This record gives sequence, C-alpha cells and structure tokens, in this order.
Amino acid sequence: MQNSLTSRRKFLKKMAAAAAMTAAASMFPGIIFASEQDANVPKGGNLDWKKGPCRFCGVGCGILVGIDKGKAVAVKGDPNSSVNKGLLCVKGYHQIMCTQAKDRLTHALVKKNGRYVQTPIDEALDLVANKMKETMEKHGKDSVAMYTSGQSTIPEGYVASKLMKGAIGTNNLDCNARLCMASAVAGFLTTFGADEPMGCYEDIDHADYFITWGNNMAEMHPVLFSRMLEQKNRRGAKIIDFATRTTRSSTASNTSILFEPQTDLAVANAICYEIIKNGWVNKSFIENHVNFSKGITNMGYGLEDNYKFKDKPTKINFEAYKKFLEDYTPEQVAKYSKVSVKDIKYLAAIYGDPNKKVVSYWCMGMNQHTRGTWMNNLVYNIHLLTGKISQPGNGPFSLTGQPSACGTAREVGTFTHKLPKGVVMNEKHRRLAAKIWNVPYERIPSKPTYHATEMFRAVDRGDIKFIWTQVTNPLVSLPKTSRYRPGMEKDSCFVVVSDVFPTPTSDVADVILPASWHIEKSGLYGNSERRTQHWDQMVEGPGETTPDAWMTIEVAKRMGYGDLFPYSKENHVEEIYKEYTQFHEGAKHGMAPLEVLKKESGAIWPYVNGKSTQWRFNAKYDPACKNGKDFHFYGKPDGKAVIWQRPYEPAPEIPDAEYPFWLNTGRVIEHWHTGSMTRRIPVLHKAVPEAYIEFHPDDAKKLGIRNGEHIKVSSRRGSCVLPASINERGLPTRGQVFVPFFDENMLINDVTLDAFCPISKEPDYKKCAVKVEKA
Amino acid sequence: MKKRLGIISLFVMLFLAFIAIWNYSYQLGLEEAYIPIEDQNHLYAIPSESGVFRRSEHALDYSNMPVDENHQRSLTTYYENRAYHGAPPSIPHPVNEHQNMGGQSCLKCHENGGFAEKFNAYAPVTPHPELVNCKQCHVEQNTQSLFKSGHYASIVAPKAGVNHALLGSPPMIPHQIQLRENCLSCHAGPSAPIEIRVSHPERVNCRQCHVPNTQEMTAVGTFKRAGNEE
Amino acid sequence: MPVKSYLAHPEEGQKEDLIKALSKIDHCDIIPAKNKDLLIVVTDTDNKTDDEKVKASIEAIESLKLLAMVSGFNTPKNK
Repeated sequence: MQNSLTSRRKFLKKMAAAAAMTAAASMFPGIIFASEQDANVPKGGNLDWKKGPCRFCGVGCGILVGIDKGKAVAVKGDPNSSVNKGLLCVKGYHQIMCTQAKDRLTHALVKKNGRYVQTPIDEALDLVANKMKETMEKHGKDSVAMYTSGQSTIPEGYVASKLMKGAIGTNNLDCNARLCMASAVAGFLTTFGADEPMGCYEDIDHADYFITWGNNMAEMHPVLFSRMLEQKNRRGAKIIDFATRTTRSSTASNTSILFEPQTDLAVANAICYEIIKNGWVNKSFIENHVNFSKGITNMGYGLEDNYKFKDKPTKINFEAYKKFLEDYTPEQVAKYSKVSVKDIKYLAAIYGDPNKKVVSYWCMGMNQHTRGTWMNNLVYNIHLLTGKISQPGNGPFSLTGQPSACGTAREVGTFTHKLPKGVVMNEKHRRLAAKIWNVPYERIPSKPTYHATEMFRAVDRGDIKFIWTQVTNPLVSLPKTSRYRPGMEKDSCFVVVSDVFPTPTSDVADVILPASWHIEKSGLYGNSERRTQHWDQMVEGPGETTPDAWMTIEVAKRMGYGDLFPYSKENHVEEIYKEYTQFHEGAKHGMAPLEVLKKESGAIWPYVNGKSTQWRFNAKYDPACKNGKDFHFYGKPDGKAVIWQRPYEPAPEIPDAEYPFWLNTGRVIEHWHTGSMTRRIPVLHKAVPEAYIEFHPDDAKKLGIRNGEHIKVSSRRGSCVLPASINERGLPTRGQVFVPFFDENMLINDVTLDAFCPISKEPDYKKCAVKVEKA
Repeated sequence: MKKRLGIISLFVMLFLAFIAIWNYSYQLGLEEAYIPIEDQNHLYAIPSESGVFRRSEHALDYSNMPVDENHQRSLTTYYENRAYHGAPPSIPHPVNEHQNMGGQSCLKCHENGGFAEKFNAYAPVTPHPELVNCKQCHVEQNTQSLFKSGHYASIVAPKAGVNHALLGSPPMIPHQIQLRENCLSCHAGPSAPIEIRVSHPERVNCRQCHVPNTQEMTAVGTFKRAGNEE
Repeated sequence: MPVKSYLAHPEEGQKEDLIKALSKIDHCDIIPAKNKDLLIVVTDTDNKTDDEKVKASIEAIESLKLLAMVSGFNTPKNK
C-alpha cells in the first residue's frame, strides 16, 4: 500500500506541475508522421508512390499517391514536404475516391433539343470554336468571355490568358479567385505594391502568438492549424481567435474574442490607436520604411450594375494619421464592436510587446468583406507600426482557399486587369506580354472589362453572348445565384462548361466538356506561401477526358491561332511553364526551374541562385533588397510600404425588424467549396451529408426551433430551406445564423447579397440580413 | 473665537485632506490589479467540438508514456461491463461510499487515471468529468444472478481496424460521440484498450482526419444530386 | 498530504534572488518557465499545518511579488 501511495503521490506532483507548466515545454522538431502511416500499409505490395500537391485547399500539402496496376488506391502525406511534414486532413487522405463516382463526366455532351447527347470530343471542340468565332464576328470580341479558377493549373491559366488577351484581344477573362482572394491582392498592392505574403509557413515554428482574424483554421486550413497546436502544446505559443462565430478553432484556442460583423475595421484601428498611445510604435522602422496615405471614403457597395470606382490616394503624415485614430479609442469602439475594452487592449498589448513575435492569419472573413481591401490594409498597419513584418515568426499572413489561387489566378493573372506580369493598364507590361506571346502589342486592350460578379451580370443583361467556365461551379459559388442562374439559362448566351462532375453550372450548359481530374494530368499549383509545386500524370482518366489546358489549346487552334499555341500534347505542361517563367525572371519573382520542381516537394519564389526566398523584403533573406537598409519594400517606387488611413463604415445591409438576423456563410472541414468533389467521396458525405442552418441556442429557444427541424431562411433576394443545427459544429452569436455553402441541393447563395468591395470587387458572403421561419 | 475658528478650520482641512486621500486611493483601487493570469475560460458550449481538445494539455505526456504491457485492457474486457456498445459501463469493483452520488470519490481515480494496485489495473479515464452524479448512470454489480432470465437482444460492437476507406487512410469514427466527445480519454493512456489506443496522441485535433460515420443513426448512402435519378 | 502548484511572480529583475530563496525551503520544488518572468513552484507536505508553514515561508520571501495557486491535490491519509 505504501508503495502505491508514494507512486500516487509522485503522480499527483507531476499532475500539479503539469497544470502549471504549459509554457515550459521546449521546442521539438516538426511533425514526422508518414513513417507511421507507412507501417499501416501492407509491406511488399506493388504500390508505386507518386508525389504531388493536394487537390484541395491553398495550404498546398504534399501528397504521395499509391498506384497499384494503374489505379490510385491510397494517399499519404509527403514527409519531404516542409508544408505538412507528412500530415494531411480527412479530405486529403480520401481525395482520389471522387474519381470513381458513378456520374463522372467521361464524354463531351452537347445539348440538342433540350437533351444532352454524347458527342466525340473533337466534334464538341469544333462546335465550341465555331460558336466562339461566330459570336465574335457577329457581336465583337468583347461578347465572348472565359471564367476560370484558382484551381486551374498554372499552364491552364496561362493558355486561357494567352487565348483571351493575346490571341483574341479581349480582357473578358476573370476567375473564381475574385470571390476569395481579390481583397488580399488589392490589400497587398495598395500597401506593398507587390502581391502575396512576405513570410512563409515556417513562421509558425517561431511565433509566440497566432492571431486569427475571422478565420476557422481548424476546419479550413487544418494542417497549418495542427502545426500551430503543436507549437501551443510543446512551446506554449498562444492562439487567439478573433471571430464572429464560435468554432472548432475557438474551442482549441487559448482565447476566443467575438466581434459584431463588420466592426473588425474599427477594432483594427483601435489596436493602432493603443499602439501609438502607449508608445509601442517602432519609430525607426516607421521613419525608414513607411509612408502614410488616405483614400476615398463612402465608396458605396457595388450593388448597381456597371458600378465603377477608382481610389485616389493622398499622402498624409503621421500626425494626421494619429489625429484620425482619435475616433477609435477602445472605449468608443467597444460600444459598437461588442469587444470589451480589456480585450482590445489585450490584443494591442500583444502586437505592441517588442519581445513577442506575432503572426496574423486570415482568409475569407477579411477578404469576403465589402471593405475587404481596407481590412487587409488595416492589419498591415498594425504590423508596420510595430515593425513586426518580414521576419521569422513576425508578420501578416493572408491564407488562400484554393490550391492555385496564388500560383495561377494571381501569378499567371487570370483576372480581367492582369497579365502574367503586371496589369493591362500599364504599357510596359503589355509590351512585355506581346513580346513573349509574339503578338502585336496593340492587340492587348488597355482597359479591364468585367470582374466576376459584373461578368455574370453582363451575361444576364445579354452583353456577353458566349461564356466558357473551367474548373469552377459559379451557380453554387456566386453570391445571389437567384439572379445569375436564370441569367445563364437565357438563350442569349451560349454556355460551355468544362468539369469533372455534373454540377448546377453544367446543368445550364450548351456544351459540357469532360475534364481530366488532378492526377489524371500533369500540372503545377502555387500555394499560399508562394510555393510552386509540380506533379506528373499518375493515372489515365476515363473515356475522352482531356486536360483543361489541352482543350483550350485545341479550341485556339481551331479558331486559327495555331501559331501562338505550338505545344505538343505530351509535353505541353513543360513547354508552357518554360514560356511562362520568362515573365517572372529576376530576383523579385524568379520561378524555380522545372527540373528542381520535379525533384523537390515544391520551391518558394523568388527562387534566386538555386534558393527559395522565405522572407521577402528583409535584406537578411531577400537578395532583391537593394537599398542598403534592413528592409526594402521594393514593390513601391520609393521602397516604402504604406500605412493607410481607412475608417469604419457599416455593412450595406444590416438586420432590421423585417429581416432580423445576420447571415454568415462558410465551409466545414469535410467539404471543399461547392462539394462537387468531396460529396462524391463516401467518407466525407457520410460525415456531413447535407447543409444546415446554425442557431445560437437562445435564439432557437425564443423561436421554438428544435435541432433538425426544417427552417426557411429568406432575404430580400431569395430563400432556402435547411435543417436547423443547434450546438453542433459551430455556435453563432445571438442574432446571427450560419450556413455552409457546399450543398447544391440547398443553395444558400440564392439568399446572399452581391455587394462587393469597391476596390477589389470581391463580394461579401459573410453579412446580409435574413429572416427565419419554420418551413 | 479665533481659536475656535482655527480649530474648526483645522478639522475642515483635515476632513478635506481625508476626502482627497480617500478618493485617490479609491481610484487607485479601481485600476486593474497587476496579476496577468491568462484567461482560461474554456468554452464548453459546443460539446462535440470543444470536447475533442479537453485533455489535449496532456497529449505530450501521453505520447511519452511507456506502454505497460502487463496491465493492458483489450476491447473484449472493455465491452464486458457494458450492456451494449455506448452503454454506460457498470462499476466492476466494490464501492465503499454508498451514500454519495459518486463525485469526487470516483473522480479521484477516474478523472486522470493512474495505476490502482488494489485492482491491479489502470483506472479508466472518464470523458465527462463535469458530470459528477456518477451513480446516475454507472451502477455496481452486486450479484451475478438474474431476477428472471430473458431473451436480451444484443448488437454487434464496431470492430477496430476495419473502418478505413483506403489503404492506410485514417479510420472513420464508428461510434456515436455523445458524452464521449473527448477522444483521448478512451483512446490514449495506459487504460485505453490496446486495439483502439492511438499511436499519435500528440496530434490533438483528432477530427482533422477522423470524421464520424453517421451510419449508426441513419444510413447515409452516397451523394445524390437533387432531381437526378442516377 | 497536500500537493499544490503555484505560479510565483518575482519582483522586477529579482528572479534569480527568488530562485535562491525558494531553493532553501524544504518540501518545495521549483520549475523554471522559459521566456517567462515567473516560476512554477510545487509543494509537497505531510499535513495541512506543514503546508501552511511552507506557504508562509514562501510568502515571506522579499523578492516575491505575488504567489498564485494553480492546482491542489490531497492524497488520502489512511488508505
């Protein structure tokens, strides 16, 4: 007995110490996990493991796909990838299963007399090319459009841009990344003059604090969140969740702070106010590396067709900025943000402490925001004021949602205003593109045309008469689909949809082209940390499925642009990548050569002298810094970043007596975006078979709503019926409801509002006013 | 008179000084105390989500724990004192305190576990230590005989090692998790049945890779598009 | 037999003095916390009176600014 007592006593002592010791654990190397998974796979099998990036989110985990007799049968994390070090999430582990779904699109389908008729792919491509040409002849080249994706590979985006801007000569090219990353792009360009984060994922291993702004990373960027949790447990790093809804991330964080939708603008300014008031400003950093500017306010919300906006920056000084912040004392902001004065000061104190390293993470909460560009600017302000930027463990980090939102949409530039390098408005950039593409410089128009929302408005108005969508499902993912679905159904527009599975978008198509899935083609993706990753084709696709890039090339050839697309079917990915990298030559954006990408699990650009640049703008790490100082923000002509004076402005639609609830939309860990892939993976579908509407238990009680009851949620634009969910996956604040948007059978985007950020043109899916009633 | 006035004014002065000092110290008292103790208010509002992380502070201890092979439980013994899988287990050992509801006397061993020499076994850890009326659901077994025998139906408990979809992919969660939201309490540590003991307790975000299979409640087929017969 | 753990906050710049003073006290273990201006103290005594004595002697240390208890356990006496 004595023995057990002493051992129990020792145990208790250990427990008592452990309870007080979370901070004392020392640093360990990262996650090494795949070796263990290996042990579970039967030995001596003929599995051939091939490397690539994951098909799903923007984290860009490295995967190894096990191939057995030409079939993909297993997936594991790539232990050599520094992104995920062998770990994946449930979507990643099961991704290959979707290709075996019964309703896979295997052949081209052409609509004849209201019915889809299976058609040989060559014939279907002829039809697409003829239709496109005919439309241009009849209605001008601005009557045709292409809408691509942040899931397009780099070659796919590149040939789409070359076809539209170089060959045809129209800027009618935009992509679904407009719906997720445009505000991040505009934020980077206005503050730094150069797109994409300066830091990298390794920041996680160095930071003392992770502050997530409106971002449920535990579900949306799970592998990165696990890396953060590991640092929390081993090293005592702290996670602070700043959000409008309590989520899995909130419950795993050290602190969860809730705010009223849209007031993040005010809270960010209040943090800056506190930083200045308490003398936490990094003065030498400000003097050497920062300018102050203000822009136009009261910009509106883009709700009307043909809305136009151009910001006019005016230089100001520190004193003027300080004066402006006087409206944002924590006491004032606490009143409408519902964040306590204490919490605001707490956040400011973390950013202000010179001995603490802080990384801010955000994704759709800040980007899908009618003041998304401002919000991005404001978080940069905090990091610039304190000089906590471009250093290991210190920096703002904008996460992406799509696997190549950075690599394709932003770097290749499949936006209406973009070129592979620079923008169409800039003559030098147009001349460079014309030279590499070998087209007359005059052919590339200098004016941007339609951004995503406006493009589908133009389809609805009848201005666009031919549209080709690739690798995306706009009739589930656009806001206010209640307008754009009928718009696309109109006879005035010929709709071509390339996809892997039938979707609500392919339902309105005149021609459906069968696309190859991820591992059935070769390609390149670029993830959130500027990492470019290549993969080779691993398996054969079924039927007549064809890579999207090749279909675009085939159509271009049929339209008579064959000389601009001299690529071979076998090697087009490599040939295109080599042509594309010419655009980015130099220390600021050099891309790793293909030979390196084939060998390694990705490389981070700028790739200079055989080395990835992990922290841009910091002279210690970035060879492009040329001003002789510690930091050089070389995106701006004078080498200085900009702190923007951006006020708080209310949301365009606010709950009122008739529509008393905020509607917030988002995702769940099991499903990716519109669910066209993940819902066809049995494991994921069984875990979350349908969408739901989340209530705060108090609201549910007041309305007499029970879990699972069918609820009709309606706005001024449309309605949707979903089962209620109370105290399950997430907990919205009182007066707010949340609906995931993956379910094509319950289209919540019929309800959302198509207001957007006037600068970035990115819609706000997180805020509109709705009412709820039992269905 | 002057003297009296002098005394009164002295007292008035003293009184004013008292008010001033008292006010000052009162204001000081209102200022926040120094103690920067971290806000530890965990949110248990969404049990299925917050529960997962509840024992995560011990995750590193779990992964460093040596395996005590002589005192391992197996799924067979685990199911022995449960009427069906998911049923509250009965108490397999004598209980001294008959008058209390359980509470602290049970939690002494079952909150954090540890070796109990008396029973030559590790105490299983409860996934729901906040529910202290233990004997509401967990009862002793004081006899082996039955009042009347009957035809008691039984259901087959989920098997371990067969719940994954692909070679080497993470298994799905084959059971309901109500009141068992905390994965580590049963799947980690020396009291975890050997078949279901997790090899990587340090990866605390369990449901990043392991998702529930709702089959037990309603069988969900594969995904079907609305209005599409296929 | 109480086992208790505390967070000990030293006066500014006197962490070393505090460690020295604490190490002189019996039934009291000190665990350093990295990058933090505080210490973890675990006490393990035979009975309540001893426990109070130890606590009193810790609190008497001059370089200690604040002592905050984090957790306490009590082992059964006679079993």
